[in-house]
Amino acid sequence: MPCCSTGRSSSSPNTCDASMTAPGIEVRGVWKKFRRGEIHDSLRDLVPALARRVLGRIPKSGALAPGEFWALQDIDFEVRPGQALGIIGSNGAGKSTILKTMTRILRPNRGYCTVGGRIGALIEVAAGFHPDLTGRENVFLQGAIMGMPAHLAREKFDAIVEFSGIADFIDTPVKRYSSGMHARLGFSIAAHLDPDVLIIDEVLSVGDFAFQRKAFDRIATLAKSGIPVVVVSHQLDRIAALCTEALLLERGRIAHRGPAADCIATYVLGDNRAPVDAADCPVRLERLAMAGPSEVRSGDWARFRISGTVLRPVTENLELVALRIRALQTGEVVFATSSSHCEVELPPIGPFAVDVALQLNVPAANYVIETNVWDPIRHRDASPGPTTRIEVTEGASFYGPVQMNAGMALARDPS
Amino acid sequence: MPGPDGPLESSTPPAGPAVAGPEGAKGRPGFAAELREIVQDLWHYRELLYQLTLRDVRIRYKQAIMGFGWALFMPSLIVLSGFLVRIVMAHLSGTTLETSSVAGIAVKAMPWGFFVGAIGFATGSLTGNLNLVTKIYFPREVLPLASVLAMGFDTLIGTAALIAVLPLLGVTLSAALLWVPVLALLVFCFTAGVSLLLSCANLFFRDVKYIVQLLLTFGIFFTPVFFDAVMFGPTGLHIVMLNPLAPLLEGLRLSVVQGHHLLVPLIETTSSGQQVLVWSPWYLGYSAVWAVLGLLGGAVLFHRAEFLFAEYV
Repeated sequence: MPCCSTGRSSSSPNTCDASMTAPGIEVRGVWKKFRRGEIHDSLRDLVPALARRVLGRIPKSGALAPGEFWALQDIDFEVRPGQALGIIGSNGAGKSTILKTMTRILRPNRGYCTVGGRIGALIEVAAGFHPDLTGRENVFLQGAIMGMPAHLAREKFDAIVEFSGIADFIDTPVKRYSSGMHARLGFSIAAHLDPDVLIIDEVLSVGDFAFQRKAFDRIATLAKSGIPVVVVSHQLDRIAALCTEALLLERGRIAHRGPAADCIATYVLGDNRAPVDAADCPVRLERLAMAGPSEVRSGDWARFRISGTVLRPVTENLELVALRIRALQTGEVVFATSSSHCEVELPPIGPFAVDVALQLNVPAANYVIETNVWDPIRHRDASPGPTTRIEVTEGASFYGPVQMNAGMALARDPS
Repeated sequence: MPGPDGPLESSTPPAGPAVAGPEGAKGRPGFAAELREIVQDLWHYRELLYQLTLRDVRIRYKQAIMGFGWALFMPSLIVLSGFLVRIVMAHLSGTTLETSSVAGIAVKAMPWGFFVGAIGFATGSLTGNLNLVTKIYFPREVLPLASVLAMGFDTLIGTAALIAVLPLLGVTLSAALLWVPVLALLVFCFTAGVSLLLSCANLFFRDVKYIVQLLLTFGIFFTPVFFDAVMFGPTGLHIVMLNPLAPLLEGLRLSVVQGHHLLVPLIETTSSGQQVLVWSPWYLGYSAVWAVLGLLGGAVLFHRAEFLFAEYV
């Protein structure tokens, strides 16, 4: 067996990798399986398991034993310097598992991850805090846990305290901190790591509004400094703002990879296709046809026709033709209305068509128009309808998320 | 590049839809390579080891009545118990208790207190820091090692006090005192090795800490702390010395209290004129082998299991 002195090993310190690998993250064909339920946690279970192992009847690691499942399947990507990759997906899709294989907390069953250089992981930024120690003591402890060299911790101490904004309490035990102070101090330490590679998991929402903005700006600065960045977040707008590219995970597989906006769009649209039992809905929406091009300038009007059929007399309290405009970048619904709000009566039975006009007083971005029969009582779609994408381009310029049709005139009597 | 399989899993590369890296089939690195890796990791994270030790020392003295007196409390208690036991023994055999016997107990109380304390803290060190183990990467060896080092700090304080007291018990300076650092190092290595093993075992099986607690409580009956190994007679001595800690404790007593050079066998003549073997250099060799193999084996086993920690907690 060759000595592994020249091989990159997953268990050597990151700095060793740095001399041999280009800075960047490489994830190649990673498979990871987990077990459902409890793993043998008593000797009674262990002995038979060991016996099987000794007798050589080990299930191949390519196969799944009963109760096992693949948490990651054939995950393959790389992040080069200057790239910022967002990872999105529903809970349990495997986002954190990927991060854990990258940070070497988990070892993949197959495939490998290499990370060149020192990892700065903004994950559980206050996990190492000890409640009885003061803020000052915890800065050095948490810094060391995150792999910050001692001289760097001393050098950055003042900057860390200043960034956290809790200088007055730095010599107070952290058990007396509010949860916001706790998180702010933790984030400040992590934000001063000076890493070669940055990995961020759901830490973009710490502290109050002002601190969140400060934290986001800090991360954006780091991300734009040219180091490879991986971000996991459910805040899609943050992914859209930070990332050049994104991965969509679905049950452990890469379902989509591409520019962040596209990927978020796929995720948001896919999420809406949740099956609804629409069999007994009295109205069926069949078609959504744009009257003009699907590209509209901001502030202009979009016109389209929704056609469908009333299948039986409506007795329920339903909004029969409802409409949602959703920003694809963030998945957020920016506007919703319905035929009842617009005081449109559908015929008692038979086919119908409704013409809709919308003034797109929204910033330039991609949106999706979703139609549905809305059940206001149960607060869900009674029956989904067709959707279409619409691109809003820069138009009559205004700044901000809404168009307020401002009017200005010079006053004649300035007093 | 790392092999595709965890260290405790099948070492055969699986057939399946994915292809592992080109070095995938290389298998696990050798013992020596792994040791080098552990040392590199620890060196790289030496600041963390220092900070965690500091944490463990600090929290023991914060918001505590005893403060640094705590470091003296446990060894004093051991010495006092030993003193009591020996007085009873002396009374039963119709002799008097010599001060050198008390000095012997005091000398042995230090390493025993260290061993019990360190093992006690280290066993729960991984399970007590689960949020770190499952969330942040660092060589997990630092957690049990920091517990051992923190206990080492306590023991140093106790030792300073002991050095002040020993002259009162009739202990004089001798060249044999040079054995103390060697024995202390061996005790440390053995303790560290056992700590690594037990902390790891306790992560997989939570009842390990209860078993350890029991063993530590009753361990003092199987280790020559209150009594001297030679009291068991020639055969008994050999059996008592099978405990890897026994030769280290006896060696400390002989070198400190009796000024005995440990590479020379010691044969004493009892009051009835019998020649009795008290010490043989082989005992020291036996313990040294335990200490070194214990540490290396413990470290490598720990290292191999490390990748499973986050999954099995």
